[in-house]
Amino acid sequence: MTAVAVHGVGTSHFGRQPDRDYLALAHDAVTEALADAGTDSVDAVWVGTVFGPPGIAQRTLRALGITGVPVITVENACASGTTAFAEAAEAVRTGRFGRVLALGLEQMSTAFSGAITPEPTDPEQHAGLALPALYAMSAARYLHLGAVTPEQLAAVSVKNHAHALENPRAQYSGRYTVEEVLDSKMISDPLTLLQCCPTSDGAAAAVLAPASGGGREVGLRGVALRSGAPWNHDSPHVWGFDIVRDTAADALAAAGLDSVTDVDVVEVHDAFTIGEIVTTEALGLVAEGEGGAAAATGVTALGGRHPVNPSGGLLSRGHPLGATGLAQLAEIVWQLRGEAGGRQVDSARIGLIETMGGGVSVLDGNACVVAVLEAP
Amino acid sequence: MSHANTVDPRPRCRLDADDAWRVHGLRCRRCGTVAAYAWPRCPACAGPAEPAAFGPAGTVWSSTVVRIPVPGRTPPFTLAYVDLDDGPRVLAHVPGADTAPAVGGRARLIAPTGSDDLAVETATGSTS
Ligand SMILES: [Zn+2]
Repeated sequence: MTAVAVHGVGTSHFGRQPDRDYLALAHDAVTEALADAGTDSVDAVWVGTVFGPPGIAQRTLRALGITGVPVITVENACASGTTAFAEAAEAVRTGRFGRVLALGLEQMSTAFSGAITPEPTDPEQHAGLALPALYAMSAARYLHLGAVTPEQLAAVSVKNHAHALENPRAQYSGRYTVEEVLDSKMISDPLTLLQCCPTSDGAAAAVLAPASGGGREVGLRGVALRSGAPWNHDSPHVWGFDIVRDTAADALAAAGLDSVTDVDVVEVHDAFTIGEIVTTEALGLVAEGEGGAAAATGVTALGGRHPVNPSGGLLSRGHPLGATGLAQLAEIVWQLRGEAGGRQVDSARIGLIETMGGGVSVLDGNACVVAVLEAP
Repeated sequence: MSHANTVDPRPRCRLDADDAWRVHGLRCRRCGTVAAYAWPRCPACAGPAEPAAFGPAGTVWSSTVVRIPVPGRTPPFTLAYVDLDDGPRVLAHVPGADTAPAVGGRARLIAPTGSDDLAVETATGSTS
């Protein structure tokens, strides 16, 4: 099997950009990724999008001159971009294609007037369980168990908004206090507005090819993808914990890492503050019940022992669903090359990305992808 | 994303002869997994499913008050995940509750809401 490397990454700006179309967003990401990889052609494309209309991949790519090659569109909720990445990587690893583009695309500001509309073919969404409410259930459970405090929840938002101050592509950034986060508009108790990711438009892309030892190539040590098993009254954890833990175990094994604490920098799926807390615990970066304290005491901040979401995460960079996973990848590639500017994690050698998407009732998430990457 | 002609996917709740509301779902004949849905196979093991009724009593696993607009619902509205005593975890509305009911408190299935959502009443008290 072929060793796989990320040869180039690129992204659009992230934010509400209703005046820009999919093509403009994709142009920014793809052009940057191809230039970064020093190439102008690819042998196949995997595209991740959730709400993109039918045909959007080919309609976008043709305007960039990428035609006549296999184009495969995937949807895996918030993990769509990382699913496209995982499948593209596997295609390179197995020799099916030589150089593959993974592209994540999403324009949410034109698809929804506010938050994502719950999907009526799903029973719990049909009943009004918007995604913030699903995460609010986890947060309320953690509060009840004494596994987190409201202030610790807010600390995740404070941290990630501060990280984003150094990310010029981020949708939002700022120096907030815990009190300001807690005093922002209540969305779904106990989650306030500043604890919820914004509605975002954006694109992100990566060029994958066999590793050739180049000085800017970021090696893919291992990647894993899982879909959710039933989550119910027998589950010992809140929604989404087990799938992240199990997918991470797969990815670490594939990467040949003994412990996740060998990882220097991570980008995780913090669509809501509680999501980052649960994920840092499920990954094993911190012990169960310690995720909130880790955020509040700086363990997961830039400069801390386990920096999480130096980009600002979904909470601040923004969350264009299908693009998010590849935006996370771009951040880790920049970190591992030492190109992350004011948000650089010192001498980062091993990086990890985690994306999980959900919304299908009964299941512990629609999909989760975890990847481990290594500096050139 | 609306699908006007969609079959209603929500659990069925019926008033039984003993005047108790119960959710009519499935139990797996192979592994015993239960779910609030009348699906043909077990979601855990793909074993054969048989009809089963659950409730009316249970315990609040978690709860929230949704304060953002959701199509067909008027915020704020209160939701709870309730672990039925002999059955699955179900999502239910808590009509009339303006705070999230206490996690760990008791709950009981009542008649579905005007929007035909599963509903429970809970002991008074709030998580906050
Ligand atoms: Zn079964």
